[in-house]
Amino acid sequence: MIQKIKYLTLLLIAVMLTTSCEKWLDLKPEDGIIRQNFWKTKEDVKSAVVGCYSSLFATTQTLFIWGEIRGDMLSPTIKTTTEQMDIINGNILSSNSITSWRVIYKTINYCNTVIDFAPQVLVSDKTFKESDLNSYLAEVHALRGLMYFNLLRSFGEVPLQLKSTSSDANLEQLEKSSQQEVWDQIVLDLTFAEKYAPTTYGIREQDKGRITRYTVNAIQADVYLWMEKYTECIDACNKVIASGQFGLIAGKVPGDNITDSIINSQWFNTVFYEGNSNESIFEFQYDNQVMNPFYSFFISTSRQFMGSPLVMDEIYTVDPLDDTNKDIRGDFSSIRSSDGMIWKFAGTNNTSPGTPRTSTSSYAHWFVYRYSDILLMKAEALAWSGGGAEALALVKVIRSRANALIGTAKSPDPNSSIEVSDYIMEERAREFAFEGKRWYDILRNAKRNNYEHIQYLLDIVTKAAPADRQQSILNKYKDVRSHYLPINLYELQTDKNLVQNPFYQ
Amino acid sequence: MKRISIIKQLTGIMISLMLLIGLWRCVKEKLVYITTTDVNMTAYLEKYPEQFSEFRKILDMTGYASFLSAYGAYTLFAPTNDAIDVYLQDKGYTSVDQVDVDELKNLVRFHLLSDTLRSNTFTDGKLPSLTMFGQYLITGTRNIDGITKVVVNRQANIIQSDIMVGNGIIHVIDHVLQPAKFSVAQLVENNPKYSIFTQALKETGFYDTLNVLPANNPDARRKFLTVLAESDSVLNVAGFNNYADLKAKYCNTGDPKNGLDSLHLFVAYHVLYDAKYLADIATSQSQTTLAPLEIVSSTLTGTTILINDVIFLGVHEPGAQIDRAASDNSATNGVVNSVLQHYTLKIRKPVRVDWDVADQPEIRKLTSIFRKSTTTVSWTKTGGDPFQDIDWQDGAMAFGPTYSWSLASTITRYMLYGDMLMLPIGGPNRVLWYEFRTPLIVRGKYKVWAGYRQQKNSGSTTSVNQFSVDGVTLPRLLEFTVARPVGTDAELEAQGWKQYSENSDPIIGARLLGVIDIKTTDRHILRIQNISGTQNQNNLDIIQFIPINDDQVYPRFKPDGTLIPKP
Repeated sequence: MIQKIKYLTLLLIAVMLTTSCEKWLDLKPEDGIIRQNFWKTKEDVKSAVVGCYSSLFATTQTLFIWGEIRGDMLSPTIKTTTEQMDIINGNILSSNSITSWRVIYKTINYCNTVIDFAPQVLVSDKTFKESDLNSYLAEVHALRGLMYFNLLRSFGEVPLQLKSTSSDANLEQLEKSSQQEVWDQIVLDLTFAEKYAPTTYGIREQDKGRITRYTVNAIQADVYLWMEKYTECIDACNKVIASGQFGLIAGKVPGDNITDSIINSQWFNTVFYEGNSNESIFEFQYDNQVMNPFYSFFISTSRQFMGSPLVMDEIYTVDPLDDTNKDIRGDFSSIRSSDGMIWKFAGTNNTSPGTPRTSTSSYAHWFVYRYSDILLMKAEALAWSGGGAEALALVKVIRSRANALIGTAKSPDPNSSIEVSDYIMEERAREFAFEGKRWYDILRNAKRNNYEHIQYLLDIVTKAAPADRQQSILNKYKDVRSHYLPINLYELQTDKNLVQNPFYQ
Repeated sequence: MKRISIIKQLTGIMISLMLLIGLWRCVKEKLVYITTTDVNMTAYLEKYPEQFSEFRKILDMTGYASFLSAYGAYTLFAPTNDAIDVYLQDKGYTSVDQVDVDELKNLVRFHLLSDTLRSNTFTDGKLPSLTMFGQYLITGTRNIDGITKVVVNRQANIIQSDIMVGNGIIHVIDHVLQPAKFSVAQLVENNPKYSIFTQALKETGFYDTLNVLPANNPDARRKFLTVLAESDSVLNVAGFNNYADLKAKYCNTGDPKNGLDSLHLFVAYHVLYDAKYLADIATSQSQTTLAPLEIVSSTLTGTTILINDVIFLGVHEPGAQIDRAASDNSATNGVVNSVLQHYTLKIRKPVRVDWDVADQPEIRKLTSIFRKSTTTVSWTKTGGDPFQDIDWQDGAMAFGPTYSWSLASTITRYMLYGDMLMLPIGGPNRVLWYEFRTPLIVRGKYKVWAGYRQQKNSGSTTSVNQFSVDGVTLPRLLEFTVARPVGTDAELEAQGWKQYSENSDPIIGARLLGVIDIKTTDRHILRIQNISGTQNQNNLDIIQFIPINDDQVYPRFKPDGTLIPKP
């Protein structure tokens, strides 16, 4: 009897355990591809590289905030978040999510993945040529360099993650690398990219939306300028200029009268509304399927930022006598002066009163490099290497193209590097308003020659500071360590090898 | 036999089963009886004896330990052991036991606020709440050799901030905070730089006013006062070599204690109500002084704070600069600040103000629009206040003013400069009020006129509105839907109407809103409040403040701004 019970129980257990669904033991996902099945054909490589570009869309908001919020061209609104206000008020804490670098490292990790796994496709796909591989690798190396450059400028020192993290097993607890090590890596990445990146993909959208050799040169120019290596910067700029592939979109066109010229009414449309213009070098290609983050940021009724009143008052100025005489980059181009809306990303046209984009048409591109940037970077490098006169000539090109007003014209001494470069800075503010460059421009100029010109940064910060915190903010910025962001608390907790940046310890 | 063994076995199984079940049943359910595991302040200090054992001891001695371990909302500036050692050394003690308990009590109360203040509320000036000791703490930053630290009361650096505990927030500091010992009067007196000013304080009797502890002051408004002191060198530059010079120039009654004496008023004009640190002065545009109904205006340009830097009748009157380095000195009952230039009361006669409400700095910036284009511009408050000098009711329906200009339109062509603000007003879908900041108006009595162009949305529309200045209601209502009556100037004025523009059409006219006694020479707030009716077409052109004894009707205006004098 007992035996019987025993057998019955055993049988029951056996039945229950063995009738399970057969796929239980199959660990491969049914609705996705695993790495072992990917990385087989050249199409796989291509889609992975496209994935790297797609990941850039998530970085725009971070790049905008890092590049603009500590500058002088934004004003908060009633909907500005507490965390954003804290940064404006000079109270930057590591718990502030704005200091999170996660989205940037995500792109870096995608690039690392391509670098790690793409070469093995050469074996499995015989139609995949070495030159194709190198071309793809050039793109991701350049992207990785660009991302590290953003991190370097924002945090000073960051950990260098150069291997892909494809599973929990190869998560690494990294230490911060020194500024020099990060610089070296960026230069290394860009050198590789320059060697193999194609000059064109044959389609305009791809030429402006993917890394070309000229994009690499533009990044190089920016990096060398930051590193105060002016000869190299000028070389990189000259490569772009000599290519003959780019030019400035005319700001003025002939009017009815032959000697007359009138403002090009299509300029805003060509350069900013449509994007991918002849003067564009690299843009994040938002389109009607991928919206940029700027609708809720600048346009909606709960917008978080508007342009500062200083933008029209001091940066562009107005001609009080003739309203048709205006800087084409000012009202209804960078900003709508009637309500401070950041028109560069919000506008659909440039005629008063102006129609803003809607939530379903907010896909203005994010402009990373334009040809005018090349000219002004070259000018800045020239100014600091004894080419003041040539630098001023370049500024003049930019100014006359934009019909810059007499109110913003200056005549600096060509032999004074500082005077010329200050003038270039003012022009950069006009040319690249709200393109995420302002803070880095200010910092680059303040830190040059071992913080020789820190007063430049302090003056700008003072102007934008709230009256009751002005002195505190001023003193904080006098401590040069405060110019870099703190490492976010979450990163410190998860990576025990990270040490907080000194100002925030 | 077999049967018995089966039964035996079965019994064994049953017993073990019951035991098993019985054992399982008695697991006690875990209930949570506390709402949080956060420690309170006392417990937090106890957790880190290497940092806070001394301060913890002080809490025990003063009896505050139990109070800080109970629930509440406090901010504590906790000095470290090193900080307390330095404090003891300075005072000549070797251990906290030797210090008088009352002294320690005051000390703890000066480090404690009944409010939760995170580091993002720290400004350049005082903290928003008083310490339990009854003096304000000030915050700021200090840069020494390129290293910036956040400082409290100019005495201690913050080492660690924003430690959240169950009953508030702790900020760790590296020095003990010590309350001010001297009153405002004593602080001025103790500084040899202010010898002339001190004498003036004494002679005018303000020394005593400024020498009362807040706790002993019966006048709640005067518990905290601020002095803008003029140093001897500043007075020397202004031509006063000693107190006698000052007295000779200003003392017109011979008795400086007399409230009407000019020297008395001069000193009173340098004393502000409340504890006004520079951050407070920089953030508000005018400060009330002890001189009756006189204010000083303050402006921040760059990093400079200027006192009485005003534009009056189109003329810039340069102001007196505040000496940052010599200011923000805390006293037991206020603050001592210093100015770099001599300044004094200005006697101004009431003067007529013709205020074109459409002439706002924000509209002037729209150069392609302002007095130039017939394109109208409207403002809403979504995403920020578009005007610094105009405000209106918040809310989803908050459509604000519309600017329009035209010398051809039948609406605006006779208006001053051909422009106006259209102010949608009235419930339920329009805002109920607007507030405008006026230009500078000199103290005095004025008749207030509103010039408008009548318009009526439809036959039955009304729009009845009441005006007030600084909360003082003006008696007559303005109906934007009603045109002025017809009559001679004298008849009209008697009824509270006038023709203010070149054109005699009654649809354009000005309504007398009432008489207002402007108490201080300042920029004031004019409020338009809807009483009944609702429409958009409330076309406001100009507000006039005309001294009551001046001609109320002339000069009139041509649309280009030229004045038409009395014929």
